[in-house]
Amino acid sequence: MLGYICGRILALMMILLAVSVIVFSLMHSVPGGPFDERKGRLPPAAKANILKKYGLDQPVWKQYINYMSHAVRFDFGIPYQRPHTTVAKLISKSWAITVQVGLTTIVVAFGFGILAGVYAAYHQNSWIDTLVTFVSSLGVTVPNFVVAMWLILVFAVSLDWLPMGGWGSSGQCLIDKYFCTDWILPVVAYAIAPMAIVARYTRASIVEVMGEDYVRTARAKGLSEVKVMRKHVFRNAQIPMVTALGTEIPNLITGSIFIESTFRINGLGKYFVTSTLNRDYPMIMATFLLVAFLWGILYLLTDIAYTMIDPRVRLGAKSLS
Amino acid sequence: MSNSTTTRRSFLKDAIRRFSQNRLALIGLFLVGFILFLALFADLLSPFAYDRVYFDRVLLMPFDHPEHPLGTDEVGRDYLSRLIYGARTSMLVSLSVQMIALLIGLPIGALAGYFGGALDFVISRIIDIMTAFPALLFTILIISVLGGGMLTIIVALSISSWIVIARITRAQVLTLREQEYCTAARGIGASEWRILFRHLIPNAMSPILIAVSLGIPTAIFAEAGLSFLGLGVNDPIASWGKMVGASNAYVQVYWHLALLPTLAIALTMLGFSFLGDGLRDALDPKQKIRV
Repeated sequence: MLGYICGRILALMMILLAVSVIVFSLMHSVPGGPFDERKGRLPPAAKANILKKYGLDQPVWKQYINYMSHAVRFDFGIPYQRPHTTVAKLISKSWAITVQVGLTTIVVAFGFGILAGVYAAYHQNSWIDTLVTFVSSLGVTVPNFVVAMWLILVFAVSLDWLPMGGWGSSGQCLIDKYFCTDWILPVVAYAIAPMAIVARYTRASIVEVMGEDYVRTARAKGLSEVKVMRKHVFRNAQIPMVTALGTEIPNLITGSIFIESTFRINGLGKYFVTSTLNRDYPMIMATFLLVAFLWGILYLLTDIAYTMIDPRVRLGAKSLS
Repeated sequence: MSNSTTTRRSFLKDAIRRFSQNRLALIGLFLVGFILFLALFADLLSPFAYDRVYFDRVLLMPFDHPEHPLGTDEVGRDYLSRLIYGARTSMLVSLSVQMIALLIGLPIGALAGYFGGALDFVISRIIDIMTAFPALLFTILIISVLGGGMLTIIVALSISSWIVIARITRAQVLTLREQEYCTAARGIGASEWRILFRHLIPNAMSPILIAVSLGIPTAIFAEAGLSFLGLGVNDPIASWGKMVGASNAYVQVYWHLALLPTLAIALTMLGFSFLGDGLRDALDPKQKIRV
């Protein structure tokens, strides 16, 4: 197990290295950059000075090695758009908001998703089941910024119950500056897709497990319904739920870009877009490495979670397929 | 030979029967047909050109003006026409992306799966690296390098989409090449290329087609999403995603600017997903639909 995890972490390092090389060489393979003269002419001396300040006058491989040797010490340089701060500071500041958005969303999505899935599985073919199936197929297909717009139109524009955007600035909060009224719409819009997937997975796996022989046996020997559900159905239905968790949480990273843009939240996703628009190499590089790292770590964590839930799964064992 | 054609035809008939009994798939087919119709005949159907600007008719509500049944946008362009031309942008991008993905991914995946060795190793590592990273971010990276515009989006999305097709083709060919009919073909002296193109690829086609059809809504989402963020097609080309993005500032009063393009995106994506699911159930009855 430990050997396996070490192997996976090593593989993650290799992937990070590959991603960094790809991103770096892509960004330097085309003419033009943050200081190209489309937006105004610069005297040659001033331009040379700027290029020197940011190390852009050196050969690309040297720039890369230079960058990476600093990056491993969490020094990602200075963002071109905001020269008076550092990339690391900018990321850690916006990161906190993105994490708040993401975590609240995960809790809401999994809480309600599992609840809806269990209820739908338990009342198969009732109208609630149909409703869950309908909403979940809608939630899976329709992009979150579209759902976000609909929520804004209904709850912010026509009913005027909730603010249209922002994060923690509505003044009506549960605790200090957390859990405010302006958290509701972004989180709901963001949570609908993962919630739909979790509900579908939960429903499907519970329905499947409920038809198993051992559940019938458990009922036959007179166990109470609660015990049957808790000990026999849930425990086995958890495995596909973790799969949903594992594939959905990384997806939240990309989803955040759209949610932050729609609701004007100053998180990492927003900086991701602005740095892309401005070709801010240090920011692009740092955010890409961060996302690749998170993506890999989250997949590793779900694989570990598998072994904890299902003792039959042994990581690192040679699979037959 | 005649035997193989009869079985293939009966499989096709069977698939059509399964498809036509699937209500959602038919709804999907209808929606997709309608969108494609709009996209193809956008010039004939739309009352105005997509970039025709009326400076005196800025931000009209629907039904305000007899010539603009769905109102106008923030610079005075007819919204109905922009919506119709948006279908063309959406279809042009998503269909050409999937077509390119098929043309690149199919041969690469087939070669890797069939011949194995160093080629397979290299292609598998490329697939590993690309899947170790969210495809959308990779697309954004390419756009940040190449700059926006319709062509860049098609290129960027194709680069991330061929991976899916290559992976599926490789897996299919890998399992199919051990089948008995393959050994039999080899036994009667068929060349490697003949086995690959006459026996393996036709048999691998169902899952590949399913992946392509389910890749279309993904590409529609990507185009709309990128344009929504301002990384997509350039002005004055109409794109639903861009229309949603632009509406954000006006939504408090001019709700139609946000509602209409979001409905268009949602209906198109639902249509293609229903169609794709229906195709999967029709072409691949062995695969149980679980979730």
